[in-house]
Amino acid sequence: MNSKTSIFRGITLIALVLIVLMPFILPSVTLATEILIFALAALACNLLLGYTGLLSFGQGIFFGGGAYSASLVMIHFNFGLISALLISILVGAALAFIVGSLSIRRTGIYFVMLTLAFTQMAYFLAYTFSDWTGGDNGLLDVPRPALNILGITVSDLKSSESFYAFVAIVFFVVFVFARRVIHSPFGTTLVAIRENENRSSAVGFSTNHFKLVAFVISGSITGLAGALYAMLLNFAPLSNIDLVMSENILIMTIIGGTSSLLGSLLGAGAIVLLGDVLSSIWPRWMMILGVALIAVVLFLPGGLWGGVTSLFNKLISNKKNKEESSTEVSK
Amino acid sequence: MNLYLFQALNGIGLGMIYFLISVGLTIIFGLLNFVNFAHGAFYLLGAYLSYTAVVVTGNYWVALIIAPIMIALIAWVCERTLIKRVYHLPHTYQILVTLGVALIIQELCVSIWGPIGKHISPPDSLKGVFQLGDFFYPQYRLFVIGFAAVVAILVWLLLDKTKFGALVRAGSEDAETVSLLGTHTHRLFSITFALGVGLAGLAGVLAAPIRGIHPFVGPEILGIAFVVVVIGGMGSFTGALVGGLLVGLVQSLMTTIWPQGASLMIYGAMAFVILLRPYGLFGRA
Amino acid sequence: MTNKYIKCTALAISVASLSGATLAQDDAVTIYGVKSMSGAFASYGKYADMGSKLAVDQYGELLGEKPNYKVIDTEGNAGKALRKVQEAISQKDAKFFDGGTLSSTSLAIGKEVNKSGGVFITPAGADELTGVDCNASTFRWSVPTYGAIRETVIPLFKEHPEKKRWYTITPQYVFGEALLSNAETVFEELGIEHVGNSYHSLQEQEFSGYLTNAMASQPDVLLILNFGAQSSNTLRQAINFGLKNQMTILVTWSSGLEQFQELSASVTEDVYFGAQYWHTVDTPLNNQLVKDVKDVYGITPNYPLAADYISTKILLDAIAQAGTTDPTAVANALEGKSYEGPTGTETVRAADHQVLKNYYLLKGKAASKMNDSDDYADIVSYGKSFPDESSLECSGI
Repeated sequence: MNSKTSIFRGITLIALVLIVLMPFILPSVTLATEILIFALAALACNLLLGYTGLLSFGQGIFFGGGAYSASLVMIHFNFGLISALLISILVGAALAFIVGSLSIRRTGIYFVMLTLAFTQMAYFLAYTFSDWTGGDNGLLDVPRPALNILGITVSDLKSSESFYAFVAIVFFVVFVFARRVIHSPFGTTLVAIRENENRSSAVGFSTNHFKLVAFVISGSITGLAGALYAMLLNFAPLSNIDLVMSENILIMTIIGGTSSLLGSLLGAGAIVLLGDVLSSIWPRWMMILGVALIAVVLFLPGGLWGGVTSLFNKLISNKKNKEESSTEVSK
Repeated sequence: MNLYLFQALNGIGLGMIYFLISVGLTIIFGLLNFVNFAHGAFYLLGAYLSYTAVVVTGNYWVALIIAPIMIALIAWVCERTLIKRVYHLPHTYQILVTLGVALIIQELCVSIWGPIGKHISPPDSLKGVFQLGDFFYPQYRLFVIGFAAVVAILVWLLLDKTKFGALVRAGSEDAETVSLLGTHTHRLFSITFALGVGLAGLAGVLAAPIRGIHPFVGPEILGIAFVVVVIGGMGSFTGALVGGLLVGLVQSLMTTIWPQGASLMIYGAMAFVILLRPYGLFGRA
Repeated sequence: MTNKYIKCTALAISVASLSGATLAQDDAVTIYGVKSMSGAFASYGKYADMGSKLAVDQYGELLGEKPNYKVIDTEGNAGKALRKVQEAISQKDAKFFDGGTLSSTSLAIGKEVNKSGGVFITPAGADELTGVDCNASTFRWSVPTYGAIRETVIPLFKEHPEKKRWYTITPQYVFGEALLSNAETVFEELGIEHVGNSYHSLQEQEFSGYLTNAMASQPDVLLILNFGAQSSNTLRQAINFGLKNQMTILVTWSSGLEQFQELSASVTEDVYFGAQYWHTVDTPLNNQLVKDVKDVYGITPNYPLAADYISTKILLDAIAQAGTTDPTAVANALEGKSYEGPTGTETVRAADHQVLKNYYLLKGKAASKMNDSDDYADIVSYGKSFPDESSLECSGI
């Protein structure tokens, strides 16, 4: 148990180091901010996919819902930063409750198709209510309010560096929270559901109840990510809520690896960076993304994180073997 | 004649096109339990190959035969090299791999044929309009309906009345027993995959004179196919036919009643069917 | 092994992009072209990029050095485009932008560039660019929906005053509504009977139902108000349904040559199109442009190419005229500027930063009458129609 706890700490520590280093390693702070925001969304998707076994094509609904709701309360009701983010969390949770409570009635491919249908409907609603959402022009002039705590202005968040710091803190808090969730009895139950739904329900868990809670947590985090994205861009485009957004969040999650929350950070980083770098070199770069998707499934089923851990384990066992063989020789 | 009757007739025509778009997807899912997110991309490739065939030979009928066969061959190669490796994996990974295939095909099409769309005209003999009272209907669309009906009957005969069909169905239930009987299941699976994807290519060829050829329609076609297949019941051949007709009818009537809501209705209907009848109208549990 | 490779690549990529950032720091003027190179609007981006590149390459010295051109790929996504523009502004001190064919992308970029006090010229379709969302930094080359409707509907009606019954097919989004409301005003002015309208959704590609509705109203003219792939499919299916024999068809907002190439003459014959640009327009600059594009790229210039060529060129000219890279001075130089453009003499209106230029009504030719492979249409009429300066919605400049 002790060693396990230290590994947990290790992962949180790695996450912390990455967050601190990212703005210095990456070409720009705004790029790093975008990666963290998508990492939040991927992490939320991971809670569903990796820990509950639910492949949801509905993440874009929560992302877009969070972006629109936070933007609207800031534009029309002058909400501050924290209260706008809270609204996005609530809206994300509420949307996830609706989508989740209907979708989890079905399993397997039918579940996937239900979430897909809801995404298409949400997209349609978003562009129909263009008086509110700006339709296909997007919602413009989204403010980025200053960070006030207890009436004191901590930062105006105007510079991209300060906004990165704020997003990084939010990410870290959510990361730690999510890790607590998955290592709580609730989290282990989720994994049990994923592994064997029939047995879990026979043992007496109400599996749907657990799945729904997982959905709501995932939706609220995704909504938060959407709101942060709107604040980053000062803009909430319609593409936030379309199927491609849901697809991208899923791809980031799976490429990163679903066995650890850290995988989501790697996945978001890899996909955003890949798009950024390759698109400036070759307009047909999405072909490479396609090859990468196939390669991950065939050669790296654990995603990037799985690859990193297995490489790490190999190094350790090689070292051990060497040590053993050297002691044998000395005998 | 009444406008609603027009729309109902038009809806049946549309429905047969939707059936063609989706039947391959349902066959592959039903028999191989494989989710093919590259279905729309193969439709696209079929349309582009037919364009090239028309440009080279100047004959639509040649394109109609050659392009689907080439798509089936490409699918066969794809299955032997890639798809067979992911049959045993969960649907998540199948979706991921086929999404990758779809992206590669889409970008290849842009590289080869350029980002601007292409057009092929219906063959000269079918360029006219069929007129019945006030009702006008393109001859080409009538041809597509008839052709789709023939395809439907042929596929049904193949799956239901031949040894091949029986083996494939048995193979999807219990691959081991069938291979004990001395049949190579992997060959069966390859042929089935090639057949299903070939039908997507055929749909692309037939729809090209109606919908044009544009490199980014893959996801839209995939969406239609999924709606049809889910409503009809995934894996059900009859389901694809009835689902296609139903979606076509609803969409066509909606254009008169509440056009803005057409896509909302269709995806709403899809959600509704899954919630009320989890395995669609004709699917098996 | 795979992991090592991925790590190496990642490292190489980050190093490469870092060094790229530092190399860009020189004194030459850099124009940033915001183009949809990848993603669903690649057909615009590819040619728009050619246009901007040509304008910069042709330019001699500007403030003592050859100007640079850098492309920013929008990936067909307004969010991505905006973040990359932010990055260019904060890291490379980018000031001058052009492109952004999509309305959502252009509106957002216009705001962002304005915040940092740069200059942005776009050919996008959204009227808000020089309307309610106008600002000191944003200039727009393309004719608004107001002019597109007036320069197509009015001349067509003048040619065929007997065609009094018109039916419209409108996409239900901001841009489509703008075209429709302008069309309704013109209908009223001319005494045209608007016999019906079909709205369709943003993603629709199947128009047979709407065409059936249109046929049932027995109009004289079918006015198609959507654009891009949707208008191509509406038109294609209308031809399938034999509508060309029953009524006149007008596509108000065509994308020009590329749409003709996509549809082929068998579809476009006898159909009327509105266009921002046509390559046979006989003006000195356009004749030169057609020749240069043929020499450099071996093609005939289409709308995105010409639009982004001239946007880039007038931006460079304004910098030269201002004699400085101070964006305010450059914006001032642009305001009120008259110049020879591809459509003749074009003027940048100071009040709303709208370029006043011609809009064209074209009529598709039969394949047998085409003089060369790109000679798809005749120019029926052209002219300048813009909302009066007293009625502008723009107040931010």
